[in-house]
Amino acid sequence: MSKPKVAFFDFTCCEGCQLDTLNIQGEELVDLLEAVDIVEFREVASGKAESYDIAFVEGSITRESEIPRLKKIRERAKIVIALGACAHIGGVNCLKNHLAMDEALKIVYGECAKDYDTIPTRPIDAVVPVDYVVPGCPINTGEFLRIVKELLLGKTPELPTYPVCVECKMAGNICVFELGKTCLGPVTRAGCNAICVTAGRHCWGCRGLVDEPNLNAQHDILEKHGLSVEEVLEKFKIYNTCTTEEKK
Amino acid sequence: MPEHSVLVVDDEPIVRESIRDWLTEAGYAVATTETGEQALEMVKTQDFSVLVVDLRLPGKTGLAVLEAIKAERPWIKSIVITAYPSSETAQEARRLGAVDYLLKPFAPDDLERLINDTLAAIPPEATVATVERPIAEAPAAEAITVRGTFAIDKEDLRSLYEGLAASAKVVGPTAKQGKYVFRKIKRFEELRLDYDVTVQPPANFLRPAKETLLTLKLGGAPGAEPVLDESPRVLFGVHPYDIRAIELLDEVFMTAHPDPNYITRRRNTLIIGVDCLHPSANSFAPSMGTHQTETGFDLLLTDIGSTVMVTTGSERGAKLLSEYTQAREPNDNEIATQKALRDAAAEEYPLSLEIARERLPKLLEDHYDDPYWEERSESCLSCGSCIMVCPTCFCFDVKDEVSLDLKGAVRVRQWDGCMLTDFAKVSGGENFRHGKADRFRHRIFRKGKYVLERYGIVGCVGCGRCISACLPEIASPVEAFNTIARRAKAEAARRLIGKVELQPDLYAPQPAKLVRVEPLAANEKVFEFQFDNEKSLGHRPGQFVEVSMAGIGEAPISISSSPTRDGSFELAIRNVGNVTRALHGSKEGALIGIRGPFGNGFPIESLEWKDLLLVAGGIGLFPLRSLVQYVIDCRERFGRVTLLFGARSPEERVFKTELSQWEENSDIEFQETVDRGDEAWEGNVGVITTLIPAVEITPAKTMAVIVGPPIMYRFVIGELKKRGLADEQIILSLERRMKCGVGKCGHCQINGVYVCQEGPVFTLAQLRNMREAV
Repeated sequence: MSKPKVAFFDFTCCEGCQLDTLNIQGEELVDLLEAVDIVEFREVASGKAESYDIAFVEGSITRESEIPRLKKIRERAKIVIALGACAHIGGVNCLKNHLAMDEALKIVYGECAKDYDTIPTRPIDAVVPVDYVVPGCPINTGEFLRIVKELLLGKTPELPTYPVCVECKMAGNICVFELGKTCLGPVTRAGCNAICVTAGRHCWGCRGLVDEPNLNAQHDILEKHGLSVEEVLEKFKIYNTCTTEEKK
Repeated sequence: MPEHSVLVVDDEPIVRESIRDWLTEAGYAVATTETGEQALEMVKTQDFSVLVVDLRLPGKTGLAVLEAIKAERPWIKSIVITAYPSSETAQEARRLGAVDYLLKPFAPDDLERLINDTLAAIPPEATVATVERPIAEAPAAEAITVRGTFAIDKEDLRSLYEGLAASAKVVGPTAKQGKYVFRKIKRFEELRLDYDVTVQPPANFLRPAKETLLTLKLGGAPGAEPVLDESPRVLFGVHPYDIRAIELLDEVFMTAHPDPNYITRRRNTLIIGVDCLHPSANSFAPSMGTHQTETGFDLLLTDIGSTVMVTTGSERGAKLLSEYTQAREPNDNEIATQKALRDAAAEEYPLSLEIARERLPKLLEDHYDDPYWEERSESCLSCGSCIMVCPTCFCFDVKDEVSLDLKGAVRVRQWDGCMLTDFAKVSGGENFRHGKADRFRHRIFRKGKYVLERYGIVGCVGCGRCISACLPEIASPVEAFNTIARRAKAEAARRLIGKVELQPDLYAPQPAKLVRVEPLAANEKVFEFQFDNEKSLGHRPGQFVEVSMAGIGEAPISISSSPTRDGSFELAIRNVGNVTRALHGSKEGALIGIRGPFGNGFPIESLEWKDLLLVAGGIGLFPLRSLVQYVIDCRERFGRVTLLFGARSPEERVFKTELSQWEENSDIEFQETVDRGDEAWEGNVGVITTLIPAVEITPAKTMAVIVGPPIMYRFVIGELKKRGLADEQIILSLERRMKCGVGKCGHCQINGVYVCQEGPVFTLAQLRNMREAV
C-alpha cells in the first residue's frame, strides 16, 4: 500500500497549530514522516499536489476569497480535518463578530480599511463538510498524532465527550474555583490533559463545548463566584462566540 | 459464692454497668474494667472463666486483648461485643479464640444464654485458682506484637520515615495552595499529619488515573504481555475513612477474577494510617462508621502531643516499629489522652446522616421514582468531578494507544464513571443511562445501595470530597440520603395509622359450598366449590387459595380449574396433613372457608401467541390443570401446545378421564409416561425426561411451564436447556409453606422473596439469584 498523501493548508490564523506539528520531536517525527507522504505544507516546502488522502485545514473563514479556495481543497481531499480552534469553532477571530464589519475594518486598518474586505468569521464546517477535528488553541500534538495513527489503522477518531474537569482531576489539580478564580473547564471538551490549569491558569474554552453543555448551570456557577452577567458572557466570547451562538 | 466469674471490658460506662447488673443478677461474679491494659493486668492475678470484651477500646484493642489472652490465659473463654461489626474483625476474633461475636445492642438474655452455653463446655479442671504475679516487663523491642498499641516519641516518626524512604517511595499528605494533596514526600518536614482531608484520595496510588494493562503487537500473531507495577510504595498518613475505602477496593479487585494490576500494587504498598483529629467541614465519616478503623493498616498513628500512639495492624507493621523506633508500652495517661482526642474529633464532624446507614438500601429502593433525582440533577454539569475525587469509585475505560510505527500498542485503562454522559453508551448509539437524572440517581444508588449489596461494604465512606468538588453543589450523598429520608418520614406521617384503609376480613375465610367430591387416586380427591349466587373466585390460572377448616387450621392449595369455567372452582388435594385430612372427610354440601386467591399465577400475557410445552409430574398436574384448561378454552391464542405428564405408576395417575380426553383432543399434543408399569399398562414406561427428546421444539417461540417435585425440576430443566430454551423461557411453580398468603408471616420466603406475593410462578431467570429456590 502506498503511503497516504497528507497536505496542510491555512486560512485566517496564526499558523501556530501547524508550527506545533513541526515541534513534534525526534523519533516521533521520523516515524510520522515514514508513515505518510507530506505533499503540501507551506511552512516547510513549496510543492503542490492534485489530490490528498488527508487535508489538515488550519484557520477560520473571514474573507469571501477564502471560500472557493476551501471548496477546492474539499474537492481534492478524501478526508478534511479541521486543525485547531480557528478551523474548528472560529477561534479568537470570532471576537470581531460582535462588531459591524466596517467598524472592525476601521479598528484594525484605520485609513486603509477601504482596501480590505471582511465577512463575519466562520469555522470551516460552516462552508464545507468536515470529517474530523483536532481541537485546541493550539492543538495538542499528542492528540494530533493519535488521530493520524487511528486514521492509518482504519479506526474512526473520536474526541472525549466529557469536559476538562475529568482530566483536571486526573492530573490531581486543585479546582480553580476553590482557589477563588473562575474557569470554563466544566463545559469545555477534554483532550488537552487540562494543560492550562495544570500550569497554574484556568480554562478559556479553546477546545469548544462538550456535546451537552449545561450552560445555564455554568452561568449560575460563574455568577455565584462573583462574575457579572457581562463578565460571564465575556468569558465565553474569547473562543466560543460561534458555538454559543449556535446553541442559542 | 458464685462458681464462675466474668470479666467485662468496655470503655462505655453504660454498657459495662448494664452487663455487670444483668450478670450479677444471673448469679455470676462480675468484674469490670475500661481498658485492655487493665484487663490483662487483672487476668494475671484473678481467676476468670469468661471475658466479655469490646472491640473498640482506647489503647489496646479488643483483638489485641484476645491475642494476649490466647497466649497467656488460654482457658479463659472470650466473647466479643461490638457496635461496629465487620467480617474482618469477626474472622480475626474467631482466629484468636473468641467463642462468639455479639452485636451491640443485644438482649440480656442472649448474653446470659451465651455465657451459660460457653461455661457448659468448659471442663471444670481447666481453670486455676491463683496465678503468680509476674514482674512488670521492660518494653523491649521483641514485645512489639501485632494489634498492640505502643507509644513513640514524635521524633521517632522521622526515623520511621527515613527508614522507609531508603527503600520505597513514600507518599503522604502535604500542603499545596491552602489545601492538602498526597504526593511523594522528599523531606520529612513536608509531611502534614494534621491535615483535614486531601483533594484526591490516597487510593489513587492503588488504582491510578491511568495505567497500562498490556503491551500488544500489531499484525501477525497477536501477542499480549501483562504490565505490572511492582515498585514498593508507602502511603504514610492515611485517614481511617480512606483506609476503609481501600478495604472496599480490596473487596472489589481481589475477589472473583482478582485483578493482577491492583493486587501487585497492593502487595507492594505499606499503609500507615493516622487518626483524623481535625475533620473536614464536608465530612460525615462517623455516620458511615469510617471515622475510626481497626483493620486495613500496617501501622495506625494517633498524634497525642509530644508522643504518638501507634497501633500495629500487621507483621510488617510490627517489624517496622521495632526496627525504626523506640516503641514502649503506653502509660494510662497517654491511653486516656488518645481516647479523649478521638472522642472529641468524633464530635467535630458537622454533617451527619439522619438515619442508620443500614436502612439506606431499602430507603433508596422505595424512592427510585422520587422526583428528587430529576429536581436535584437539573444543574448537573456532567463534569464527573464527584466521581473523579471519590475514594470508593473504581470504574474505568480501556483503550489502545498505538506507537507511531504502528507495530506496537499499549492497552491502558483510565478512570471513567457513571456520571459521564457516554459511560453507558454502546457502538450503535444507544445510551442506556441517557438522562442527567438517571446518572445522578445511579451514582447515589451505588453509594448507598448497589455497592453494599454486591460487596457487603457500604459504597460511601463519608469523606466529603465530592461535596467540595461539585460546583453546582448537588453531589453530596449525605444530603441526598437525608432528603430522601425526610421525604419517607413525611410520607409515613401522611399515612397516619387512622387513615390506612382497614380490611377487617383480611384473615377471615369466606364460606364456599362443597358441591362435588370425586376421588382421583388412592390419596387424592378433587373438590368443587361454589360461592353464594355463584360469585366468581376471580382467579388467574396458577394462583392459590387458603383453605380453612375451623378448629384445625388453614392450608395453601393451588386452584386446579381455569377461570374460564366460571360459576365454580376446583381444588385437587392430596390427603397429607391435618387440614387436608379434615377436608377429605367432608361431605358434599358442607361449607368450607376459602381465602384468596393469592400469588401471581402463570404469566398468561407472555405465554400467548407462543408454542407451549407444559410438563407436569405427579400432582404437579393439580396447579397446571388450571392452565391446560385455560389453553384449551382459548386455543386460538396459543401456537403448538404439547403437554407431558409423568406419574410414578399407573394407579397414581390423576384426572384419568381428562387424561384420555386430552389424548383424543387434536388441539393439544399429549404424551404421558409412568416410572414403573404394571400388567395392564400399555403406555410409555420411563421417567418424564424420556419424553422430551421426541417433542418438536422451536426454541425461538417456545415457552415451557413445569410443575412437579423439586427433583423433577432439575432434570427437566437440564433437558430443556439442551433443546435450546433460555432461562427466560422456562417457567416453574414453586411449592412453599404459604401460611398467611399476604406477605407477612415469612414462612414462604425464598431468600428475600415472598413466594405468596412475587410467586409461586417464576421464570428460571428470576430464580438465578435465589439460591434457596431449586
